Amino acid sequence: MIYLDNTKHSSKSFLVDTEVYVDINLIITAFVLFHLSLSQDSHFPPMGRVMMPRPSMCHTSSLQIPKDKEASENELISLARSLLLAWNDPLLLLSSEAPTLPHPSNGDISSKIRELQDYSKSLGDGLDILVNKVGVKLFALSSALKKNTSAMKRPPAEFNFHFLMSCFRRDSHKIDSFLKVLRCRATKMRPETC
Amino acid sequence: MMWRDVGVTLILSLILPVVAQGARHTPPGKPKLTSCRSPDKETFTCWWEAGSDGGRPTTYSLFYHKENSETVYECPDYHTAGANSCFFSKNETSIWVNYNITVVATNALGNNFSDPVDVDVVYIVQPHTPENVTVGVLEDEDGPFLRVSWEPPSKADTRSGWITLIYELRVKLEEAEEWEEHRAGQQKMFNIFSLHSGGVYMVQVRCKPDHGFWSEWSTASYVIVPDYIPRERSMWILIAVFSAFIFLILTWIITLNRSSVKHCLLPPVPGPKIKGFDQQLLKKGKPEEVFNSLVVQSFPPRSTDYEDLLVEYLEVYVNEKQELMPEGKDLQDVGCLKSKSQSDNDSGRGSCDSHTLLMEKCGGVESKDESSYEEPELLQGQAGSWERLERGDSQVVDTPDSSDGRVKTWPLVFSPSIHGSSDNHHYGTLEMPKQHSTSEITYSVPDHLFPTSTSFPHHHHPEYRDSLGEYSEYRCSRSPSTGVAYHWEARHPTQAHSNFNIRNLERQKEATGLGLPPSRSMEYVEVQKVNQENQLVLKPLSSHGRGPFQVQFGRAGVDYSKVNGVNNDNVLLLQRQREMAEAGQYCNYREKEGAEAERYPTQQQGKTTKDGPVATQLQESTCLTTSGYVDTAPTMPTF
Repeated sequence: MIYLDNTKHSSKSFLVDTEVYVDINLIITAFVLFHLSLSQDSHFPPMGRVMMPRPSMCHTSSLQIPKDKEASENELISLARSLLLAWNDPLLLLSSEAPTLPHPSNGDISSKIRELQDYSKSLGDGLDILVNKVGVKLFALSSALKKNTSAMKRPPAEFNFHFLMSCFRRDSHKIDSFLKVLRCRATKMRPETC
Repeated sequence: MMWRDVGVTLILSLILPVVAQGARHTPPGKPKLTSCRSPDKETFTCWWEAGSDGGRPTTYSLFYHKENSETVYECPDYHTAGANSCFFSKNETSIWVNYNITVVATNALGNNFSDPVDVDVVYIVQPHTPENVTVGVLEDEDGPFLRVSWEPPSKADTRSGWITLIYELRVKLEEAEEWEEHRAGQQKMFNIFSLHSGGVYMVQVRCKPDHGFWSEWSTASYVIVPDYIPRERSMWILIAVFSAFIFLILTWIITLNRSSVKHCLLPPVPGPKIKGFDQQLLKKGKPEEVFNSLVVQSFPPRSTDYEDLLVEYLEVYVNEKQELMPEGKDLQDVGCLKSKSQSDNDSGRGSCDSHTLLMEKCGGVESKDESSYEEPELLQGQAGSWERLERGDSQVVDTPDSSDGRVKTWPLVFSPSIHGSSDNHHYGTLEMPKQHSTSEITYSVPDHLFPTSTSFPHHHHPEYRDSLGEYSEYRCSRSPSTGVAYHWEARHPTQAHSNFNIRNLERQKEATGLGLPPSRSMEYVEVQKVNQENQLVLKPLSSHGRGPFQVQFGRAGVDYSKVNGVNNDNVLLLQRQREMAEAGQYCNYREKEGAEAERYPTQQQGKTTKDGPVATQLQESTCLTTSGYVDTAPTMPTF
């Protein structure tokens, strides 16, 4: 169940707040790096789509994304923050599993995962600030989400690992898009930034 | 019959192809999805290519299902995007959702499925090219420049931030081959500088989303740059003209003052000036006259007194009593290390001038040391003054590695007074004073003769003078432990040292007892003793074997051994000429040519002289017995 609380601030005041813009920009800057590092799939050779479990099994699939881009800012912020939160534990799992991978460059993978954890943390902190400013109440992690998270510890490790990484990649892309939309909306005074 | 056959053949030939053709029909080949692209992250299109059609009309259909459902849908739009394509509209497009797409080729005979492809719309975004690319020439203080501006593709929604695009443009001169590329980031405008005057430029722009593919290049825009002179170039032209001008002026000035400049830069070389040299004479071509005029009467200096020329003198301070008579027998260089082989019958100086003697540097030889030394005792009862060359020199020899103790002890003269040393030195000349007139011979020894300085005997070990004025140079080494070991090196004095004229005076045979015995023309110096300061006191031996100091050898002549050196055991190594040398013994005698081999006893055996000095205690026999060792160590009596 997802709910939003918009009562604290109107969307308009949020939009003209340049401070918010700066915050979001910083967040996005961090996130771009974050996402870009993820986009390099070189470490994760495709195992063949046939073998891939369906992405619908990503544990965050229950978080409903807005159907169109006209979603409200609050919604966007909430989604972004919730997604990030949902990945805290799985990232820990990934970083612990990475060294045991039978992949030749699992050292690189481990360091990359740690990097992702750092980015994720800083991004989460930034989003928290934003959330406090805007006064959005975050989504509560659904029980389904929690269940899925715990169900991830299934063998085989590499199979799971690859699957998890693709889920994570997608979710980070979502967060990236949401934040950019938010930024653009926050700078209506300066449309050239969009 | 034949006609029937022909007919059948014809019919068959007509039918067969048709039949055959029918047989070639196969199910269609496998189609293949080539790509799917989304221009705006809201819709997308997929294209495929057909396999072989199997000879029959084939139809293609596309089916897909989304990741979270099993429902299979067919492509909604086959035409919008052209042939062999499928277009998904906004309603059918879900982002962040995997599509599993398959194309099926169908003909009358069958169908064929392509390989399925998974597609997520957000990862296949490729926008259209930027639109409205305009290029203009603007002026600046530095010259003209190009300003390029464009707009994002209309389909991409950048205004809401849904898609964020970055741009890139490229420029080149029309006739050039390589493009010059520039990243423009998110801006929609760009300036290009440093243009070629009058050139025609082509400009193209393209864009890319954050995560996606580059668009195609826009169509080229052409622009002509007007003619102009680049400021930079005009500046260089000015500088060149100016410097040329200055150069011309300088040249003109230099030309005006040609001579003085020449004088300044190339000063005249002074010609040779030779006194008495007459160039005119030379020109006339009579060299002899020319050179004769050069002859200066005063040159070369003629002096019969060659002695005046000799700088090396040994200054000899002689006791008044002593009268020295120069012996003209042979002039030996005092201190001359040169081994002169005197051809007189006073041969026998041989052994000491061997250069095979072991040498060791005298530990104590301090050539330069001019410290006072004991006054040599005058020989008493001697006509000549043989003075102890070195006596109890309290001077401790210095560093063993000092220069070769060349201090030779000249048994004779050398007074260190050479350097105006103290008057303490009294040295008798080598020459034995004769009863009759003696002429004092003064020799001053220049420095260089005693390289080791005036280590003239006083510190040093007396030089052993062997025959006739040959002075051997003994290097004395003093072993640190006992100080008694002496290594002797009989050396022929080098040329450098020679310039002494030392006349050997006949000396009297009176043993001085203390000092060196009078030396004769063929003076042998023997080691009289080694005093406490580890100095060998030499005394010249007479060949006649007179005196108590004669070496007593069983041989007819005197046996002298040349000391090769002193080994570590403080044993004098004698040199033997005969092959009596045992292994390890160096008791060799060196035979002088034409001279009777004379062996010098390095030490006198058991010599008990009146005055007591016994040079050595070594047994002569040791030499004879081929032991060759003269052991001076333990028994060196001291004065």
